[in-house]
Amino acid sequence: MNSPPPLSAPRTIQPPSFSPSRLLSQFWRLTEYWDLLLTLSLHRIRIRYKQSLLGGAWAVFQPLSLMIIYTIIFSKVARMPSEGAPYAIFVYVAMLPWNFFAASLTSASNSLVSHNTLITKVYFPWEVLPLSYLVATSIDFLIGVLVLIPLFVWFQMGVTLHVLWVIPLMALAAAFVFSLSMILATIQVYFRDIGLALPLLLQLWMFASPVVYPLSAVPERFQAWFVLNPMAGIVDGVRRCVLHGASPDFHSLRISLLTVLLLLPVAYGFFKHKEASMADVI
Amino acid sequence: MPVSTSILEFKGVAKRYTLRQESAPVNGLLARLRSKPVEYFWALRDINFSVQAGQALGIIGHNGAGKSTLLKILSGITSPTEGIISLRGRMAGLLEVGSGFHPELTGRENIFLSGTILGMRRSEIHRKLEEIVDFAEIRPFIDIPVKRYSSGMYVRLGFSIAVHQQLDILLLDEVLAVGDHAFQRKCIERVQVLKNSGVTILFISHDLKAVEQTCARVLLLDKGRIIYDGLPSEAIQAYQRSRGSHFGVRRTQGPPPVEVQRVAFLTEQNQHTDHGTTGEPLHVELLFHAHAPMDNLAFHLLFYGPDGNLATDLNTRTELLSVPEGTAAIRFVCDPLCLPLGLYQVDTIIERVGASDPVEHVLGCAHLPVLSPQPVQGSFQQPCSWRLEQQ
Repeated sequence: MNSPPPLSAPRTIQPPSFSPSRLLSQFWRLTEYWDLLLTLSLHRIRIRYKQSLLGGAWAVFQPLSLMIIYTIIFSKVARMPSEGAPYAIFVYVAMLPWNFFAASLTSASNSLVSHNTLITKVYFPWEVLPLSYLVATSIDFLIGVLVLIPLFVWFQMGVTLHVLWVIPLMALAAAFVFSLSMILATIQVYFRDIGLALPLLLQLWMFASPVVYPLSAVPERFQAWFVLNPMAGIVDGVRRCVLHGASPDFHSLRISLLTVLLLLPVAYGFFKHKEASMADVI
Repeated sequence: MPVSTSILEFKGVAKRYTLRQESAPVNGLLARLRSKPVEYFWALRDINFSVQAGQALGIIGHNGAGKSTLLKILSGITSPTEGIISLRGRMAGLLEVGSGFHPELTGRENIFLSGTILGMRRSEIHRKLEEIVDFAEIRPFIDIPVKRYSSGMYVRLGFSIAVHQQLDILLLDEVLAVGDHAFQRKCIERVQVLKNSGVTILFISHDLKAVEQTCARVLLLDKGRIIYDGLPSEAIQAYQRSRGSHFGVRRTQGPPPVEVQRVAFLTEQNQHTDHGTTGEPLHVELLFHAHAPMDNLAFHLLFYGPDGNLATDLNTRTELLSVPEGTAAIRFVCDPLCLPLGLYQVDTIIERVGASDPVEHVLGCAHLPVLSPQPVQGSFQQPCSWRLEQQ
């Protein structure tokens, strides 16, 4: 008989108990699933446009057509102020972070329920599922950014180094989506109402965020309340650094950052707490 | 912590499910928030056992005995309510062949998807890709979507991925009951290879024959508890006892004119026995009571094997019988018994030639465990004699 191979330290499976250190170690274990996240995300992208005629061109076509619709409605009909920039590009720049937020939140919140057969059959840290949708939507975001380049050339506009602010701003948006989607996806396992309510909520949320109008158009006395919405600081921040070559507004950004830093551990703890019994319910 | 040689240990593990009342969909949410848990159900209780590295452990039991719950807890899909499991090394489970396959993706893409879901690294999959494809015998179809695969190709690929990863503990749930016979044999051989290379195997099944071929030790679960832990041959007798001795289910409407009373197993010496042995004689006695004289009757004893298929039909059809009023018995002499190892359910049918419905039909009159001193290859042991002839 051959000698047994060296084995790693024993690990245990036991009834769920929650301590910050346990949560932290679970969070670190996520790095072991990097390959799974990569594979799942790649497949999301491949599946999305399979058996469609235009394929990947949809990633370009979708935001461009929305830009044209919004420009006609809010610039030609409603005459919305656009802080001196052409309205089309003004709305397009804000739509990039917003669409990333809305699309990834929708798909990630549905990710557990849409993988119910997987969840009852095999275990891996299930937060990889919402994360993979987040990664897949990031690709759409990057394609949207590429489309921005010819638009800038067309409108004869330039950018400054402040454009690099987009990276931390989008990281913040991603962390916000991840936190929210862990909560919503978990609730969705128990109550399917989330999937029905989310499109409506996102529509309202978009109009409560400075996407089709500038933050400066919001009356002074409402602004303090307005920036409590983390997406307000992010969308406005992206517009400032891309369009105006300025730094983001740090007051509203601080609020966004604080919200996300509080929400992320709470959401992760909630998710891990419910994960133990999810397969029994889904 | 004391050094133990066990790779896997269950200590007092229990799982409780909460049964809620199903509410109407209209006011689903509110009703669900308001409804109190009505009942608890213990799917597993007080499970204690340990497995040595390189051992193959079979877990058997009837439907609902807790087999799947045990595997789900072990693979992390659901958590135990009580107790603790400690294990060492890398473990992967296969609760269903082809878990995580996406129908739109090609076979190759699905190998990566399913493999990473099972915990493999992409580099490991790249290394094993050829082996996986060859084992599954799907090379010409590797780049077409799996939705175009036959069900056989689908399960072959799924199984192949699962058994080609670097593992210390492998969980198998009924997966050997897939594909055609040739592939099943290949699967069992592969499991043997893994076992010989030191992989610990937990094999959950209700197919005793498959368990016996793979495992030297069997746990028998009944109503969430371990009621036997030991050799496969003895587990089968315990399995029989756990079914209880209650008489089966009558399928005929109203009181039958000829009523089956008992099916008993006897040895050549007329001693009652609770089991049969492959290759040795067995007598089966069917005791019945006729409420009125009847003619043109044929009696059947149907033996259903562990896989649920009809294994054999003992009958009196060669000669139609007439029975007087009163109690009588028919003795079937099997010399020798050719059935292979397993637990057989015996159904009885009494039919009257010319009538469309049987006179009497009872499911599960008796259960016969059959032991085999030597493992039977193939579906039954054909008795034969042989001689050497000089040409």
